[in-house]
Amino acid sequence: MPSQTTTPYDIVASYRRLLSEDPDLTQPVAAIESLILGLANTPATTVSETLDLVSTLTAQLKAGIPNSISLSAGTDLFQQYLITNLQRPSARGDFDQIRSHLVQNGRLFVERAKAARADIAGYGRHFIRDGNTVLTNGGSRVVGALLRNAAESGNGRGRGTIRFRVIYVGSPSGCGKSASDNETAANIAALRERDIPVAEIPPTAIAYCMDTVTSCFVGAEGVVENGGIVSRLGTYQMAVLAKAAGKPFYVVSESHKFVRLYPLGQRDLGIDQRVVEFKTGKGVVVESARGQTDGEGGDSLVVGESKVDYTPPSFINGIITEVGVLLPSAVSEELIKIWF
Amino acid sequence: MPSSTVGQTPSLSTYLKSLKHNDIETSIELFISLLKRRQIRNSRSCAIATISLLLRVVGEVRTRDAQQLIERIRAVGRRLVAAQPREMAVGNIVRRVLENIREVAERDQDPAESDGSITTPSTPPVPGETKQRPALRTKFSEFSPLHGAATLPQDMNARAPLSASSGDSSPAIAGMAETALQRPPLMSSNTSFAPQGPAGSSLFSILQHPQGRSPFATPPAGAQSPALRALPAKGDEGPTSEKLDIKAEVITAIQDLQRELEEVDDEISEFAQDHIHNNEIILTHTSSQTVQSFLMKAASKKRKFTVFHTEAYPNNHLETHDTIVNGSGGGSAEDADERWKPLTSMGITVILIPDSAVFALMSRINKVILAPHTVLANGSLIAAAGSSTIAQAAKTHRVPVVVLSGVFKLSPVYPFDTDELIEYGDPGKVVPFQEGEFMDKVDVVNPVYDFVDAELIDLYITNLGGHAPSYLYRIVADHYRVEDIDLSGGKGEAGGAVKAG
Repeated sequence: MPSQTTTPYDIVASYRRLLSEDPDLTQPVAAIESLILGLANTPATTVSETLDLVSTLTAQLKAGIPNSISLSAGTDLFQQYLITNLQRPSARGDFDQIRSHLVQNGRLFVERAKAARADIAGYGRHFIRDGNTVLTNGGSRVVGALLRNAAESGNGRGRGTIRFRVIYVGSPSGCGKSASDNETAANIAALRERDIPVAEIPPTAIAYCMDTVTSCFVGAEGVVENGGIVSRLGTYQMAVLAKAAGKPFYVVSESHKFVRLYPLGQRDLGIDQRVVEFKTGKGVVVESARGQTDGEGGDSLVVGESKVDYTPPSFINGIITEVGVLLPSAVSEELIKIWF
Repeated sequence: MPSSTVGQTPSLSTYLKSLKHNDIETSIELFISLLKRRQIRNSRSCAIATISLLLRVVGEVRTRDAQQLIERIRAVGRRLVAAQPREMAVGNIVRRVLENIREVAERDQDPAESDGSITTPSTPPVPGETKQRPALRTKFSEFSPLHGAATLPQDMNARAPLSASSGDSSPAIAGMAETALQRPPLMSSNTSFAPQGPAGSSLFSILQHPQGRSPFATPPAGAQSPALRALPAKGDEGPTSEKLDIKAEVITAIQDLQRELEEVDDEISEFAQDHIHNNEIILTHTSSQTVQSFLMKAASKKRKFTVFHTEAYPNNHLETHDTIVNGSGGGSAEDADERWKPLTSMGITVILIPDSAVFALMSRINKVILAPHTVLANGSLIAAAGSSTIAQAAKTHRVPVVVLSGVFKLSPVYPFDTDELIEYGDPGKVVPFQEGEFMDKVDVVNPVYDFVDAELIDLYITNLGGHAPSYLYRIVADHYRVEDIDLSGGKGEAGGAVKAG
């Protein structure tokens, strides 16, 4: 329960503020940070109180953000961490230590998360060889870092810089300039500056250019239990086309994005996004499957470019994380380790 | 050069004989030149030679410190792997030995936790009864394993603070020290339970205690486990008799590995009855010993089946013919003790077909059995040239593809670039050099190996049992340490996969 020192802690506002302040922050880490700030604001003296507080805050956060898949990776991780550490018989004396460790080291966690990106980049660039053409979805900071890393350094054998080309798939038209578009533009500019030829194509041209592509790299908002990914709308399309053309499809993601979700299909993600909206002469036909009858712009509706889709694991050749290249079948093991 | 065998072509057997009376450096040089000249070929011979060499190296090492032993083996391994990077079996054996050494060293540090010898299986603690969590080791390919990353503040670790979890670069703050030292031994069967490895989750690493070293910070190359680094310090206090044991135990472990190599065919053949039934038509490729003994075992159990044997022209056809007719020992035909009867003598019909006929006949085949040269970490194979055609034809006709391979052929290397792993052989076998004019006008290539993707394989049968290709990463994690994948000494590039062999 939040104590009544000042105003009750607003986790949703804190989360949004963290994301807007630091463009390099991923959603799970921002969620962890905001939970930690919540812990700092409300002194709790017992283990149960702390765990209760964390679950309350988590519920508030998930209710307040339309697309909560990615951030739930962070909140789940944090909750499990607390549960694991605090519910040991000998934990009583160390409770304060853990709490103060968490509260004081918020920045450290953020730095570590960002360092993971550099590790992934250093690791993933071995996938890019001379003469390759890489297809990517854009909007992913990890993929951008990976490509920049590949462009900057040689491949370690003294043969010089890797000569490769990149094809960026643009965002669906009509979305205007958004954060991810700016990110993509920055990545493209950085690559072009390093003499890497970059092409930008609309999503409709993916199949057209697929035969010239060597491999595909995409980022993910979340990696789900069966090794599939939840990622921006259009990723699944690219995966299907890549598989049909026999091209390897790699996902690049930090390991803190592993989320305990097992979707059976696109509509099983637990979020409400109206991608397919039917209209008749009388207006929009509203699906009442979830009893959601608000119009656009409601808080619980995913809007604009933040729509996501689910790519099943059979389309994914490898998930490049900072612990190495995981097969989709290995993801569940990583999750079991923290979830027991 | 071994003077006693002048006049004999250098090969595995001459090398093994020479090992007995040459000094270490000469033996290493000899092996390197055998590898470079391709006078030792195919995985099993290389593995046998490597393990014998390493046995001698360990025997001669004067130090009692495990860390120095590891460094010595790494140095030797680096040279061997550099001599012939495509012979992955060499690197695999080196890494297995390194894993054994690390395991022995860790066990040595906390003898109270250990189960004793390597071969006794550890019993998993029942979850819920203790405060330990059985943790799963997932180490896949290069990079720092984050399992064993600390999740608890340091004082929660009731045991010796330096008890290594996985011996990786994460500090031994690794919580749950109770489970930290229960190493899973070589798995004896297709395990489905969680092996007892160090608990501690890789995903928690982001939140670990700041006193610990960040697992992100340390690349695998040249990573020294802090636990082992602290060995000299601890050894000063500990009884010296513990130190003596390390070398002896490592030698025991290596001898176990040698035995495993010898018994690999027998263990794989144990599964023959499950997979080969009466009236089946099996397709196989090349003169592999493993496949032949597998089929022989099934035949000896009174199964009547037919074998289509592709010729594997031009690299293996003579051996194939020999195997079918005479039942020779395959690659090491010069060893008299390796000869065994041909399949035909057991009443099995063997039909020799040219490689080009594979697709045409595939619709009538029930099962394809292949033996690889190397198995890679993601479940794909390097096998003799022609295997890829067979596997693709099998996929089209929905024929199961079964691959027989000892665990020693399983390499922790992730195939970033499959083209680099293919070895090219003598083009004169494809187009004889006598046809000079023709050869002038064309480029003749003779790839000795083929890359077969993991998706085309249905089942791997190893000496540990049958596994799906998607499960191989677990076997890799069980048998190799991530810090050993890159054998280079210094801070080389992280994850130089093919280079390290």
